[in-house]
Amino acid sequence: MIDSGKQPEIKRVEITVNGKTVQARTDKPLIHACLQAESEVPHYCYHPGLSPVGSCRICQVEVQQGKMPARVMVACRTPVAAGMVVDTESKGAHDSRKECLEFLLKNHPLDCPICDKAGECTLQDYSFAEGQGEGRSVEPRRKLEKRKDLGDVIMLDQERCILCSRCVRFMEEVPETPQLCVAGRGSHSIIETWNNQPLSGNYQGNLADVCPVGALTLKSFRFKARVWNLTKTASSCGECSRGCSTTVEVLRAGEIVRIRPRHDEEVNKWWMCDTGRFALDHFSEVDRLVGACMPSATRGWDQFPVEDGLQVAADMLMAAEKPLIVASPWLTVEEGTELLTLGRQLNGRVAFVSPAQNELADDLLHTGDPAPNRRGLTDLGFEALSPEEILSAASEHSSILCIGERVASLLGEDGFNSLPSATRVLLFDCALPAAQEVGNSPIDLAIGLATSAERAGHWVNIDGIRRPILQARPAPTGVWNTVRLLQNLLGLLATREIQS
Amino acid sequence: MPFLILLIKASLIYGGLLVTAAVMTLAERKISARIQLRIGPNRVGPGGVLQPLADGVKFILKEEITPDGANKGIFRLAPIMAAVPAMLTVAVIPFAGETVIFGLDFGLLSLTDLDIGLLFVLAFSGLSVYGVILGGWASNSKYSLLGGLRASAQMVSYELSLIMTALTVVALSGSMDLREIVEVQNTGNPLAWNCFTPVVGQVGLVLFVIATFAETNRHPFDFAECEPELVGGFHTEYSSMKFALFFLGEYCAMTVMACLTTVLFLGGYSVPFWEDAPWMVELATFMAKTSFFLFLFIWVRWTLPRFRYDQLMNLGWKVFLPIALANLLLAGAFISLT
Amino acid sequence: MVVVQRRELTFWERMYLPEIVRGLVITFKKMFEPRVTRQYPEQAMPTTAVTRGQPRLTVKDDGNIACVSCGLCEAACPAYAITIDGKETDRFIEREPERFDIDMLRCILCGFCEEACPKEAIFMSNELELANTTREGLVYDMEQLKRSTSTLQPRIDYVRKINDRW
Repeated sequence: MIDSGKQPEIKRVEITVNGKTVQARTDKPLIHACLQAESEVPHYCYHPGLSPVGSCRICQVEVQQGKMPARVMVACRTPVAAGMVVDTESKGAHDSRKECLEFLLKNHPLDCPICDKAGECTLQDYSFAEGQGEGRSVEPRRKLEKRKDLGDVIMLDQERCILCSRCVRFMEEVPETPQLCVAGRGSHSIIETWNNQPLSGNYQGNLADVCPVGALTLKSFRFKARVWNLTKTASSCGECSRGCSTTVEVLRAGEIVRIRPRHDEEVNKWWMCDTGRFALDHFSEVDRLVGACMPSATRGWDQFPVEDGLQVAADMLMAAEKPLIVASPWLTVEEGTELLTLGRQLNGRVAFVSPAQNELADDLLHTGDPAPNRRGLTDLGFEALSPEEILSAASEHSSILCIGERVASLLGEDGFNSLPSATRVLLFDCALPAAQEVGNSPIDLAIGLATSAERAGHWVNIDGIRRPILQARPAPTGVWNTVRLLQNLLGLLATREIQS
Repeated sequence: MPFLILLIKASLIYGGLLVTAAVMTLAERKISARIQLRIGPNRVGPGGVLQPLADGVKFILKEEITPDGANKGIFRLAPIMAAVPAMLTVAVIPFAGETVIFGLDFGLLSLTDLDIGLLFVLAFSGLSVYGVILGGWASNSKYSLLGGLRASAQMVSYELSLIMTALTVVALSGSMDLREIVEVQNTGNPLAWNCFTPVVGQVGLVLFVIATFAETNRHPFDFAECEPELVGGFHTEYSSMKFALFFLGEYCAMTVMACLTTVLFLGGYSVPFWEDAPWMVELATFMAKTSFFLFLFIWVRWTLPRFRYDQLMNLGWKVFLPIALANLLLAGAFISLT
Repeated sequence: MVVVQRRELTFWERMYLPEIVRGLVITFKKMFEPRVTRQYPEQAMPTTAVTRGQPRLTVKDDGNIACVSCGLCEAACPAYAITIDGKETDRFIEREPERFDIDMLRCILCGFCEEACPKEAIFMSNELELANTTREGLVYDMEQLKRSTSTLQPRIDYVRKINDRW
């Protein structure tokens, strides 16, 4: 679906929306043109990435064409025709929508204060703007299951569901693994999986995004935060070389509580995989390497500030004959450029760790290559070496500088620990590898780095598309971002060269 | 024996003076509270009577602060200079006539009976200006300096009127001995009191009382402190016991001035219609008269606003001094007539 | 320019002393009027339902906190005094606060939280006294803020009455 082969030629016709002339695509429904004209048309069942079905009926607009009198139509199921005159704000449209809204709210519980969707729920927004204050219905609301478990990722609240069927269509059309269906008829319709089987697949998280109300929620995010308390930052996913555009959401400048896909037509459309969505552990502040540390024979890990750590690093690198510089594929293009300068100055061998393909690859988004900036570093002139090649090359060098987040874990815990003791090992990483005891650790100097949520830069994805990562939250005190670290190191080296 | 008697008298009089000063601090707060429909201090002791004690303890426990750049010697000397003259003047005030306690003849209830008692009082109360101006100068603070300057100018100006008015009484009584002044008035007839001397006495009393207000830096002439303009005036930088000494000096000066007014104009210890009253009645009478003036000090303070500085100087030089001089002339005329 | 018209003083007034005496008489009379001071800790000011004291959380009669941690008071608070973290419950009402902190040093007693609350869970109580020796001690947590519905009842009735007006 994502593979962008030959695009069919797009035909456009001229229509008028609220007095604005728009070149509307004929392969898209009328609502697409209305939204393009920046008019506000509420929509629940329509999703630009899914086929339109017109089940919610809320997107009604008044359309006048030719000599026919103006009629109220459902914009998501009306094809565009040349010469249409659309009014989204007419009284007829508003009245129809209001009536439609009353039906939608007939069985929708009024528990916005509890609902996790509150704040980013279009049903809430529109009923606040347009709806009436009190319901007129005398019949009781539907009593359905409030906590229906749909596997490891998703929890379904059937009462809140407005039966827009976005989730059903998503499962059918995007990962093409139909698992959800609308069961029952009329007012007994509910969303269900067949035989109550749990959902499977690597794209379940998107269900919570496509659900226009709070019916499908992420278990990991349930009742964790109110969405208006989240600071949202545009970024890119680093779990594979696709580099999906994401929004990183931070609660009170601290914990990253949610990562969501950001619409990017060229890379990931509206979707992302669960691997990237739930890769939050990597950003946790627990066990971070703050400042710099060195093994000391008497005191265990000797902690000191980054400034002093850089002095030590400069001394070590000056003494090295031809150091091996091993970068992590998480380094940004900017950091890679600085690192290449360092490599030239030290006359070293510069490579990045090229990890093996993993089994997560699919034909939708995940490439199975856990190296987000592979293309960017290769284009800069980095040598791609597999972990094994690096470990075997290490013995040929008196010093090895491993730099970038997760670089140690990419080399493998055993592999990293088996680095020859004759080689001097400098590790610049976000965290120390597990179980590093003074005495059996190969590390001679370690300096903490900022994670990709704490620094800014660019990655180039596997298709050569350059996308930014932005700083979503401040780095812990005493942690520098990699560019600043490298520039300071270069400065120190230059000073030492002049002095010698 | 005379030494022992002197010792007892001294301890009685000074004890009485200090107690009066302490009671005055409480009375000041209590009366101001009454005037402003408040309650005043009522937490320490029954009805707050132990408040002065608590204040004293507080003053002792407070931190002593000497400002940077202060002249330390003079800074320390100033509170003493303010308190000591006020306390010394009380030595010549006769509190009662012939006194016999438990068969012990104390003679006149006064520490000493100087021929020039009035001169002594005026001389020493004039000295108290040094405490203010030295304190203001030594603090090395603009507020203190301004307060000290103003106060000294004010005190010097009003001292003139004070002395002129006192001279009237000297002329009427024909003596500077305070005992003599009282004895002249002590005839059993209250009309013999100087304040009842036609015109001269009344004008003299009013002038003298107002001048004592200025002399002791009390409202409405408290330019030395003047909180809204000068923070705390000359004692801005003072804390703890040094501040307490200034405070004590002020209240002692008030007490002495009230005593002096009583002696000069209200017949001192003379009891109306009872010429040879026992000493205790005389003492009680003296205290009652003095208490009225002390009350007046407080009463005026909580009634009148502060003068403007130029108004104060105008009043002193252009009104008080001429009237005091005229009054002195009048007294002369009165004496030559009778 | 404003020309201030000052009243011409009479001769008597210009003599000054009689006016001073008049003032003294007034203050003397004042000394015998009833006093207005209230002895505060012993005689507390009576409070009414209108008193807008410190915010408190209601505990319903079944022992559960009324708050569902919707965060509206947190959002409405102009002083950023409120911090709420929610958690899931097994009850029909799925959500309740895990942490509900009000920094009383920040709270300005404006009552916006009470107004914002959709669940009648936070009310401005009649509690006014606030003292502690540390700043941390004045960040009240949920247990310190909980009050039974009965203690807050006058205020609840008052707020309902006010809200009915709109």
